[in-house]
Amino acid sequence: MRILIATVHVPFIRGGAEVHAEGLRDALRAAGHEVEIIAVPFKWYPAERIIDHMLACRLLDVTEVMGTPVDLLIGLRFPAYLIPHPNKVLWILHQFRTAYELWDHQLGDLIYSPNGAEVRDAIRHADRHFIGQTKVVYANSANVAARLKFFCDINASPLYHPPPHADKFHTAEAEDYFFFPSRLCLPKRQSLVLEALANTKKPVRVRFAGAADQPAYQSELKTLARKLRVHDRVEWLGSIDEEKKRDLYARCLGVIYPPIDEDYGYVTLEAMLASKPLVVCTDSGGPLEFVRDEETGLISEPEAAKLARAFDRLWQDRNAAKKMGAAGNALYREMNITWDNVVRKLLA
Amino acid sequence: MKINWFSPLPPARTDIAHYTTRVLPALTELAEVTLWTDQSDWDQSLTKQVAVRSYRLGKIPWVELNRADANFYNIGNNPLFHSSIWQISRLHAGIVVLHDLRLHHFFDDIFRVNWRDLDSYLAVMESYYGEAGRLDASECFHGNARNIDHMAEHYPLTQLAVEHQLGVVVHTGEAFDILSRDQDCPLLLAPLPFNAKRNIEASLSKAGGPPYRLIAFGYIGKSRRLLSVLKALADMPERSEFQLDVYGDILDDEDQLRSQIRALDLKQQVHLHGFASEKKLDEALGQAHLSINLRYPTMGEASGSQLRIWSHGLPSLVSQVGWYSSLPAETVAFVRTDENEIGDIQLHLRALLKEPKRFEEMGRLGRRVLEAEHAPARYVQAILELAKQSQARRPQVTMNRLADRTGVMLSEWANSRTAVEAVENVAKEIFELGRVG
Repeated sequence: MRILIATVHVPFIRGGAEVHAEGLRDALRAAGHEVEIIAVPFKWYPAERIIDHMLACRLLDVTEVMGTPVDLLIGLRFPAYLIPHPNKVLWILHQFRTAYELWDHQLGDLIYSPNGAEVRDAIRHADRHFIGQTKVVYANSANVAARLKFFCDINASPLYHPPPHADKFHTAEAEDYFFFPSRLCLPKRQSLVLEALANTKKPVRVRFAGAADQPAYQSELKTLARKLRVHDRVEWLGSIDEEKKRDLYARCLGVIYPPIDEDYGYVTLEAMLASKPLVVCTDSGGPLEFVRDEETGLISEPEAAKLARAFDRLWQDRNAAKKMGAAGNALYREMNITWDNVVRKLLA
Repeated sequence: MKINWFSPLPPARTDIAHYTTRVLPALTELAEVTLWTDQSDWDQSLTKQVAVRSYRLGKIPWVELNRADANFYNIGNNPLFHSSIWQISRLHAGIVVLHDLRLHHFFDDIFRVNWRDLDSYLAVMESYYGEAGRLDASECFHGNARNIDHMAEHYPLTQLAVEHQLGVVVHTGEAFDILSRDQDCPLLLAPLPFNAKRNIEASLSKAGGPPYRLIAFGYIGKSRRLLSVLKALADMPERSEFQLDVYGDILDDEDQLRSQIRALDLKQQVHLHGFASEKKLDEALGQAHLSINLRYPTMGEASGSQLRIWSHGLPSLVSQVGWYSSLPAETVAFVRTDENEIGDIQLHLRALLKEPKRFEEMGRLGRRVLEAEHAPARYVQAILELAKQSQARRPQVTMNRLADRTGVMLSEWANSRTAVEAVENVAKEIFELGRVG
């Protein structure tokens, strides 16, 4: 089959969504298909640009290339999933979140635009109309599927996929640090972790890996760490390569991942692959689909003192941490999170 | 329901400020209301009823508008009170409450006078009225060309106030008829609200007469026809049977008006009181026998003054134009315009002398119309219902704006076959994006 994967790309920004699209492309190619990614450049401000991009996507014709039909279009991200095609399957990573669950939220920015409500309703309207027209709709996670149902009354099945290089993760003896790999940005809540560290009774240490979305934010975090007097218990590793990341996973005591309402979250799966317990929050979204409290990790209220108790608990009880990590790994295997499964379902 | 209400507020000297205070009690019964004002001074007693937010253009907390279920924009013809409101409405769609139909004066003042931006004014004229509109507009300000009243009559520019809005409220049948011709958004005709005074006595029986007390009030500009009234009185041998009290600011040359009064030998009959407080004006209305509420030319507005007159059970003379001409004939005495004006005024004044009971009944019937059709509670219910329904229209409004943007872009490809095809494709997709159902 000739398959196109439709997504969007914010120039110079690379994250999980890009990795996801490439993973899907590679899996489809491995299954013998001819596959390309079409990434529409995306800019979301001023708010009317979002509408312009929606129209731009609707005007694209990808039904055929030089007389040869494109057999299937797989839409991943807004507004690229609006691109028309007679044989379209959606596997929605997430909708345009500030028009939905992040509308009146600390992470939302659309609500601050003069025409925010108009643009929000236009996005919702188009989603209901065009996603609703699509025969098969998958969501990146149960969390994303639940949002589709709640906001648009659209039924979608969660379809999990493995993180990149899933087969290369390994485990090792736990050392004296927690690992928190993520882009440094507000939704990931590194600052909450620093505040929690200031509340621990044990000398808990955290290694943060990942580049900052905005350089100023990294400085803010460092300043906060100094202010809280935890700067000597944290390390800022910045952007690291995959091998180094897997090594840090393998040797850590546990993985901290407390984002706000994450869609899916590779970190959760990577921790499970490395047989490490996770500490997540009750409002973390996607990760909650994989972490079972007291079995594969700890689920805490998003409050510094409570999070600190979870850190102390694993820091003190290494055996429990190890057991939880092993249980997480076993759970991952049970869930059949494979590209083969993804390809089979998308092409069914 | 949470609503933001943009309006001039007392003590702003406009009836739209009074209108807001009139609807507020009923509005707060049914909705959580925030009043928004750019005035530096407003009646602080309002804060006992509702939240009042001060704003400055350029620093609008849009989040507050986005959080509301509906934003109401009161638009009238005076840029002093409505320019900021209109500018906000252009950026955030809401419900426009249209207090004037012909808004040419308003936009002319904004574009040409305040912003000194003749080009934009002409572009707006061309956009709504084509090349002819642009030409007339450019000639309007040259030598003996058409005057601004002519422009207002022929090019009302109402669309510029209501396009891309979620809903429009009008107070006159004329405005409703005209706007419903080419308005795609929900349009509501709701008679201007006014709380009838609780206890009144029929005006004539309580005060007696003659001499009969005539009253004119409001902003006294040329359109209020005071000069015609003076001429009518001056030519009447029965002039001593009348006393005319004029309340309100004289907008044109007051000295000239006073010299006219002297020249017509009406000093004994005509008294200019200037601006009066609401209380004092109510007292004066309570003592009057007949109100003179002429308005020509009219900008198509419903008259809050007329409702106030009825509230006092007063008969009135009104110009037979615009909204006034739609009033029930038994509730007012019509005065034709132009060459008939002075004669009609005299005719009615003589009729008052002969048949005071008929005029007494006229005031009573007017009061009945007020009570039946202008109750604020009914009005508020209707506009809130419109607001609820109109929320579903936001996607269409967004797509209309998108159509405008792409239209401008595509016009750069004008006159090519490709452009026509592109327009068709774009139009189809915009329609699909905004299509309901």
